[in-house]
Amino acid sequence: MALAYYLAKRALFLSITLVIATYLVVIISNQGGLIDNQIIAEIRLGVIQELRSDPTYLRLPPDVQKQVFEKKLQERIVFRGLDQPFVTKSFRQTWEALTLDLGRAQNTYGSGSFKLTTIIMERLPRTVFLFTTATVLSAVVGVWLGLRMARRALSIFDRGMTVLSITTLVIPSWVFGIFFILLFAFAFPIFPSGGMVSVPAPTDPWALLADRLYHLALPLITVTFSSFGGWSYTTRNLVLQIMSEDFVTAARSKGLPEKKVLHRYVLRAASPPIITGIVLALIGSWTGAIITELVFNWPGLGLLFFEAVILVDAPTIIALTIIFAYLFVVTVFILDVVYGLMDPRIRALGR
Amino acid sequence: MAAPIVGGKAAVREALRMKSGIFGFGMLLFMMLVVVAVPIIAPFDTVRAWGDVSVWTDNPRAAAPDWIDTFSDKKQARNILVEWDEFSIAQSNTSPVFKIAILRARFDFTYDTFPQELRLQMLSNWSDRKPLITVDWRRPDGQSLTIYSLSPDRLAPQVETLTLSSRPDVQANVRNWALGVGADDVADVRPHVSLYAVQDAGMLEPSRAQVLKGTYTLTVQAIMFNQADTLLARFTSYGTVFGLAGTDHLRRDLLIGLLWGAPVALAFGAAAAVVTVMSQVILGALGAYYGGRFDEFIQRSTDFVIILPALPILVLIGTLYQPGILTVLFIVILFNIVGGTTKVVRSIALQTKEELYIEAARSYGASRRRVLFRYIMPRTMPYTFALLALSVPSFIFLEASLSFLGLGDPVLPTWGSIMGDASRNGAVYNGIWWWIAFPAFGIVFATVAFAFLGYSFDKVLNPRLREE
Repeated sequence: MALAYYLAKRALFLSITLVIATYLVVIISNQGGLIDNQIIAEIRLGVIQELRSDPTYLRLPPDVQKQVFEKKLQERIVFRGLDQPFVTKSFRQTWEALTLDLGRAQNTYGSGSFKLTTIIMERLPRTVFLFTTATVLSAVVGVWLGLRMARRALSIFDRGMTVLSITTLVIPSWVFGIFFILLFAFAFPIFPSGGMVSVPAPTDPWALLADRLYHLALPLITVTFSSFGGWSYTTRNLVLQIMSEDFVTAARSKGLPEKKVLHRYVLRAASPPIITGIVLALIGSWTGAIITELVFNWPGLGLLFFEAVILVDAPTIIALTIIFAYLFVVTVFILDVVYGLMDPRIRALGR
Repeated sequence: MAAPIVGGKAAVREALRMKSGIFGFGMLLFMMLVVVAVPIIAPFDTVRAWGDVSVWTDNPRAAAPDWIDTFSDKKQARNILVEWDEFSIAQSNTSPVFKIAILRARFDFTYDTFPQELRLQMLSNWSDRKPLITVDWRRPDGQSLTIYSLSPDRLAPQVETLTLSSRPDVQANVRNWALGVGADDVADVRPHVSLYAVQDAGMLEPSRAQVLKGTYTLTVQAIMFNQADTLLARFTSYGTVFGLAGTDHLRRDLLIGLLWGAPVALAFGAAAAVVTVMSQVILGALGAYYGGRFDEFIQRSTDFVIILPALPILVLIGTLYQPGILTVLFIVILFNIVGGTTKVVRSIALQTKEELYIEAARSYGASRRRVLFRYIMPRTMPYTFALLALSVPSFIFLEASLSFLGLGDPVLPTWGSIMGDASRNGAVYNGIWWWIAFPAFGIVFATVAFAFLGYSFDKVLNPRLREE
């Protein structure tokens, strides 16, 4: 009950956030009338195509043709509400963006389709796959390392790992990507330098899977390496703090083995703040995805974003910004759910 | 339990007592020295011409840094530039109809690799007829040949630039000469290799040719048809290595870009970090102190800003409006008026608010402002310093990310924009590692300095992290 209330509250807040963020994007991109011009160009194209296949129109004299064309174009513009004042228009555009009615790209990308929803849905799974796997992997490695470090606090291992954690934590994954590609794809050619699959791709399904995993390895290692530090450093400090609490001393004095104390008492108490950490880590990795994918030539959302920037394809950039906002919000909400399930204080709210 | 560390000075003093603190401050000091020295080493005018291709033509293209040959037994070819006034000029005006000018450049070539390109520039002034020009090449082994003969097309002050190594007529001359002295024929003649090669069967083939070391002489002989006509020449034998940091695909000296990257990155990171951390600290403390609706508003705004996809929005703005670096800085600050620091400071301030000494201050009638700024804020100072140190790199990287995408400042080179150039031109795939590794190293160096600082401030706050 309490959990449902808490989640509903979070969902409401996140929805409001998403709406405001989308509205912000609409305003930014419409200051130069970009969305409008884009839609009008789209309508014009539609009208031209429609009239071209109409035999009665083609038989009309040119000046009448022009009149018919202008009239039809104007009708459509009014129908789409483009003659309305900016405020009304911006609200409708926000609604369209929120319902993922993203329109068309100016330049084709993949799948032979101009429709942005199609293009984005083709790319989205690749980004989510790479970065979710990397986040899970870095969480596992980081928490494991953090526990090790806390157990042997102030040893050389602990100090070295602390410094390594802090430095890797602040350096984004794409910078590591550059160094790792130089090292492991060129100086010592162990991994491919980029892409998601070999060209030409193997036809055998098992060979294809192996090939994909081979291409996944270096970006995965890179993203994991750049984000484990946050986990290990936070875990270490939390565990050290909790270890000196009375309930841990009590558990120890009962004669429980150290491993059990650590896992059952310390880690459990430490998990909610660690979960909070994942929120920032994941959000950071989504944003970092833009350049990380570019460096690794990984054909996900980030690379699409870069291609759109290069071609100054405004509709695609706008659509992707909104998709990123969605990704952020959904990520935060999923973690809210996990947090709600883990934190006894939230479960106890209603009692 | 030791007394809490209060105030900025105490936090810095404590941090400097730690190895990581000294290390971080040392690295920061080094960067500061670089920042101060940069305008002296490379004046602002040099860097302002970064986008102007014509300024950099004297440098070799995509050349490695010159210290790489300390790691091998081969000495890489350096740039050899014979300036206008370094040519020795001899004139004879025996005839009333024409005069002959002989311009001679002598230079030593003692390297183990062939040059990258050869270029001859001429500045000639004539009135009636174009002068006739013959360029001769004399090698240390006594061989000599005519590599070029034609009239210039451009009148001074326009410079006639001949890229000798890729001109078909020069290639043909070199091939004929080489075949005559017993070389095997090849399809693609490279004058910059064969002219410097030991005379043998493989001298036309870059893979078989060997470098002939010694003194070379380039002679430009001009027959001019008016006594007032003049000719000047300038010769460049492009090296395969250049400077401390090499060059990029547009022959730009990367050292200049890298050096100027430091002040740009530091100024951007520090300005953004100081302003945003200060505003976040003040708003967090105010929220905690006043509570109520104001606090709720600050809290919700903070949550909102944290979830906002800042980089995509910045990229959107960058693409649509092409802002300069100062506008970007302003927008970045706008997006970070509240943020993670607000939350941390709020929680500290909430604890501090309840302490006895605050109550005491209130009871003797201290004003709200005095309590907030003199008693509560100093307690948050060490945290503020740690967060400040750790947020500088994140802003440096934000700027670098934008420049990497080509959305940075249109004039100034930054570490990010150099890396972006390199990435777009396939530097990694073509083995031009210095182009991308050095700016990346610069960024990492700056980051590590601030990370160490942040870590030492963190240790001041959490005694458990301390060494002893």
